[in-house]
Amino acid sequence: MKHVLFAGVAVAALTAGLANAGSHLPFNPGEGDFNWESYEAYAAATDLGGEQVTVFGPWLGPDQVVIESVLAYFGEASGADVKYVGSDGFEQQIVIDAEAGSAPNVAVFPQPGLAADMARRGFLTPLAEGTAAWMAENYAAGQSWVDLGSYTGPDGSQSFYAFPYKADVKSLVWYIPENFEDAGYEVPQTMEELKALSDQIVADGDTPWCIGLGSGGATGWPATDWVEDMMLRTQPPEVYDQWVTNEIPFTDERVVAAIEDFGAFARNDDYVAGGAATAASTDFRDSPKGLFSSPPQCYMHRQASFIPAFFPEGTEVGANGDVDFFYFPSYEGKDLGSPVLGAGTLFAITSDSPGAHALIDFLQTEIAHEVFMAQQAGGFLTPHTGVNTDLYVDDTRKALGEILLNATTFRFDGSDLMPGGVGAGSFWTGMVDYVGGKDAAAVAAEIQSSWDALK
Amino acid sequence: MDNIAGTKSGLTWTVHISVFLLVALWLFPTVGLFVSSFRTADQIAASGWWSSLSAQERQLPAIRVEGDEDARDGMFVIEGRLFEAEDVEVSAWGTSSREPNAYDPDATADLGDGEALTVTADGSYVLTGPDSFEGQRLPRIFSTATTPPEFTFENYRNVLFDPSNREGMAKAFFNTLTVTIPATIIPILVAAFAAYALAWMDFPGRALLIAAVVALLVVPLQLALIPLLKFHNTIGIGKGYLGVWLAHTGFGLPLAIYLLRNYMVGLPRDIIENARVDGASDFQIFVKIILPLSFPALASFAIFQFLWTWNDLLVALVFLIDATGETTVMTKQIVELLGTRGGNWEILATSAFVSIAVPLLVFFAMQKYLVRGLLAGSVK
Repeated sequence: MKHVLFAGVAVAALTAGLANAGSHLPFNPGEGDFNWESYEAYAAATDLGGEQVTVFGPWLGPDQVVIESVLAYFGEASGADVKYVGSDGFEQQIVIDAEAGSAPNVAVFPQPGLAADMARRGFLTPLAEGTAAWMAENYAAGQSWVDLGSYTGPDGSQSFYAFPYKADVKSLVWYIPENFEDAGYEVPQTMEELKALSDQIVADGDTPWCIGLGSGGATGWPATDWVEDMMLRTQPPEVYDQWVTNEIPFTDERVVAAIEDFGAFARNDDYVAGGAATAASTDFRDSPKGLFSSPPQCYMHRQASFIPAFFPEGTEVGANGDVDFFYFPSYEGKDLGSPVLGAGTLFAITSDSPGAHALIDFLQTEIAHEVFMAQQAGGFLTPHTGVNTDLYVDDTRKALGEILLNATTFRFDGSDLMPGGVGAGSFWTGMVDYVGGKDAAAVAAEIQSSWDALK
Repeated sequence: MDNIAGTKSGLTWTVHISVFLLVALWLFPTVGLFVSSFRTADQIAASGWWSSLSAQERQLPAIRVEGDEDARDGMFVIEGRLFEAEDVEVSAWGTSSREPNAYDPDATADLGDGEALTVTADGSYVLTGPDSFEGQRLPRIFSTATTPPEFTFENYRNVLFDPSNREGMAKAFFNTLTVTIPATIIPILVAAFAAYALAWMDFPGRALLIAAVVALLVVPLQLALIPLLKFHNTIGIGKGYLGVWLAHTGFGLPLAIYLLRNYMVGLPRDIIENARVDGASDFQIFVKIILPLSFPALASFAIFQFLWTWNDLLVALVFLIDATGETTVMTKQIVELLGTRGGNWEILATSAFVSIAVPLLVFFAMQKYLVRGLLAGSVK
């Protein structure tokens, strides 16, 4: 028996090793509908001859496995020895490393605000000339992506520092189609219908929304997404741009109105599962689980495209699956089109080397996007218009990608664009105060005064 | 031992009871964490660990009918079980989220189009219909059932044996040892010499030096992170083991010197003076007399320093883990297992118990010195 057991372990260990070796490059070059020409062309043009390229980013766990597999293609094609390290404290760690002079070659920023800050202090190297032009041409709504990665350098001049790669769509409402069918509800097409549906659910004795703002030290950020979505749905995009740059103050009545519009959902005890008071203490990762309980704690959950990672195990996403999403609708009466709120991660060079620039070049190949698209973990979406969208791992992801490609108005998460002290500070805490019952105008005044203090 | 039953004073009982309460209070969260480490993420989200210990009647989330269909007597049939566990008892079930308890066990639900669904008390279901179910979305079953306690080793398997984690975990384990052992020994060596000098050698400014060491105890190490790393980079150490040993040594020294000096001062003066009279040098006194007598204090500080360096993440992140990621430590590896957005609770609970193993071993091996060392210098 013991021998059998040992043999079994040995076999398991061996096959595990094999499986591991196989996952190094998940798709064999030359096979499938990938754009291998872009890979071959890049490989022919690039030879780093074993140079080490270090990449530091925020992805961990399964996401790390996927980004490592994408970087493995870069290593294979260029001959570079590429190393990836992830950290959950990326924002602090990169600042310490840059200050002390031990930064990695390439850093992956989840927040443009932090990248802009580091560019201003001279820790980032501008990307090669022509990168911005490439992006404007090849990304959907290209100029807005270029703007996202363009910052003022230490000498006061504007350059393109950070390469956006991998995007999230935020304006989504998740729901369970069968629960809607059981209750006879229709997916709302306008904000007016959404509010009517919420009232209908309340009238039927149920609760429409699961809202969770908890996120440890970052508690409050899901509320900022709500407010930004409301801002885009009540005001033209120009006003949104003025708001995130503080050309119009936080105390402007249009901003306060957007906060109150969010409050119409989050501060209504009948609307929120567990009552409005629990929203701030419910973790955003646990909040969607209310959709799946029996009887359902709520019918809808507004959250970004990454949230399926926190659905119960085995949940299938899609029109015929267990759970689906609809676009967080806009007001029919306002005629502002279909604005989409999103976010993205940015690759920037923190320690200049030929390998770092070669990696940025690699991100411009179609294959760098396609091998990520075809994998489940990581929730990769790309605004690159030249890729084969059939390669998305499933139809849901493809539909999300389409939202990104077809957005009439695309705007980035405003709190990421604001200075860190506001966008990752007083805006978060202010929203927690607001949901807790504080007056919207008072909260806005506090946020504005913290912004003034940073100027 | 020689107490006869009934002669214990009330005070002894009070002490025992309060010790018991304190221990229970301390152990309570640990037990919760331990139970959670044997549960899946979905279980942790659905119910508290205390309710997982006994059979519970709960309204369960929907489970979708699945299985291969058979053609029988012109009808298509899908049979299956709702639960893998054997002794589950279904008390009510339904097919709509509006009426999750519409049917009793063994009742048959009419789903329309001639389709019918039956769920028995043990959780088996039979779905029958006149047409093939191929390509159709199969119905969901809501149930209220009494489920027995259910635990899994999956989390431990994931942390310790999963091919993608195993290698990293093993590497991190040895890296942590590489950090911890020198980072424990070096400060003890340095501090023992310093403590002897501060306790038994007369030189001008000794009191001031002791005061300076005590003052350094209150300096937070966060203050020194960036300047020290800059210094390491300037002198060419950079990020690496040497840097992290030096950092741990520096951050540990004030406490070590203070603790050992207080203990050594309390050693009997006669012995040391006798040795001096017999012609022993300071070094001989230190090695032959002071060191053996100070063993409890050395051991207790070793435990402190070992636990602190073992559990350390901050110093390792700043001084050790470079951009190649080759020198990752256990704490960092565990944080990585939590995932990008840090939601994997069950992994956290499990990793806590995996990483606690070595400190526990060290603690139990040396615990008899811990109390004596803790009291070092405070009582004579």
